Amino acid sequence: MVWMWHGLLGAPLASLEVGEHLYWELGNLKIHGQVFITSWIVMALLIGASLLGTRNAQRVPQGWQNFMEYVLDFVRTLTRNQLGEKEYRAWLPFVGTLFLFIFTCNWTGILVPWKLIELPAGELAASTNDINTTAALALLTSLAYFYAGFSRKGLLGYFKGYLYPSPIMLPFKIIEDFTKPLSLSFRLFGNILADELVVGVLVLLVPVLLPVPLMVLGLFLSGIQALIFATLASTYIAEALEDHEHEEEAEIA
Amino acid sequence: MDGLTSAASVLAAALAVGLGAIGPGLGQGRAAGQAVEGIARQPEAEGKIRGTLLLSLAFMEALTIYGLVVALVLLFANPFAG
Amino acid sequence: MMMSVGTVWLAEAGGLFDLDATLPLMAIQFLVLVAVLNAVFYKPLLRVVDEREEYIRSNQAQAKELQAKAAQLTRQYDQELAVARREAQKTLNAAQEQAKQESQAQIRVAQQAAQAQIAQAQADLAAQQAQALAQLEPQVQSLGEAILAKLLV
Repeated sequence: MVWMWHGLLGAPLASLEVGEHLYWELGNLKIHGQVFITSWIVMALLIGASLLGTRNAQRVPQGWQNFMEYVLDFVRTLTRNQLGEKEYRAWLPFVGTLFLFIFTCNWTGILVPWKLIELPAGELAASTNDINTTAALALLTSLAYFYAGFSRKGLLGYFKGYLYPSPIMLPFKIIEDFTKPLSLSFRLFGNILADELVVGVLVLLVPVLLPVPLMVLGLFLSGIQALIFATLASTYIAEALEDHEHEEEAEIA
Repeated sequence: MDGLTSAASVLAAALAVGLGAIGPGLGQGRAAGQAVEGIARQPEAEGKIRGTLLLSLAFMEALTIYGLVVALVLLFANPFAG
Repeated sequence: MMMSVGTVWLAEAGGLFDLDATLPLMAIQFLVLVAVLNAVFYKPLLRVVDEREEYIRSNQAQAKELQAKAAQLTRQYDQELAVARREAQKTLNAAQEQAKQESQAQIRVAQQAAQAQIAQAQADLAAQQAQALAQLEPQVQSLGEAILAKLLV
């Protein structure tokens, strides 16, 4: 297989890697080191920013607290819009952290020149460009909405909701339980990887200036992806919390 | 990987991205057009319309991305590479 | 670090869709992050925001109360002012009335005095006239006799 851009440029910035991982051995388990390194940095950033914002929380916000309150307000509005005033408090940490983690991962992946740091294998990038991360987040979302449904309506009550509005929907609802995490994980993974690939290919072809607008577009799109992931997660949870029986009664009344 | 498999894979990857872009492209154009119409009719609802438009555009975009993922599988993690 | 796509093509096992222990570890790590952020971000900031809202709400209620009190005081003041104004008007009217009566009484007295004087003057005049007439009576008598004598002569 001959790749056109293979021999064109030799600069280290202009290399393109897909599917290369820095393997770490943990007992007999293999894990992707580069994913964890960036995710730790992101987590440190998030926790550090939070500590900085709440360390000396005042009634009249000052400095960094302003920003953190803006962030809180953003995720709060997002969660409240989907889950409603009554439910959102309990799910705010999960949904909000989903958004913040994905958003910070995506943005650091674009803004921080990770490729200047050399690893023995693989390369540092947004940890959301690894299917493991996105699948983990998507499966956690599935667990979250199952948990929400079970704790609200009980095991039987929740699955009875699958027969709503008609039993014909049952197979679709069951399929949905599988497609939800699948589409969540692939949407995020694909978008982030696609952004990186597009920028990477352009850097290979024209290593100056031209990739910049695409990187800006990438910033925008990856922000939207974080928003979508969090919105969908809260929508799924809201769906699981929805009370069909009372709804029907209300409709009859 | 033998020549036939790689040729078929590369072709399939190109088709997956190219054909996969048609539907979402039409859909996105339609959605954007309707949104512009909506804004023209009701300029005060611009913020809400824009937010909903972006969200739905991203959903349609995801379809193309699925095609891209399939293409990437064929190129970089081909199960038939043997 | 120069890895071209070409070499990745041949990279063994997994590659792009390499699902392994990263997934569960990432999930656990994310849950830990949720817990940590809940402790250092959501809870404290939400508490601050709630406290602020509570403070603003109570302040607003207090302000509303004060405003109501101020409005009531204004109303009371207005009422008192109106009463005072009415009283003042009443006093003024009474004073005016009294002054009018007094002046009228004085005028009456003065008129009576003038009337009396006029009467006095008229009486005096009549007396003088009578007196003059009485004085003239004998003269008229003598004068008539003289005229008569003259004529008869």
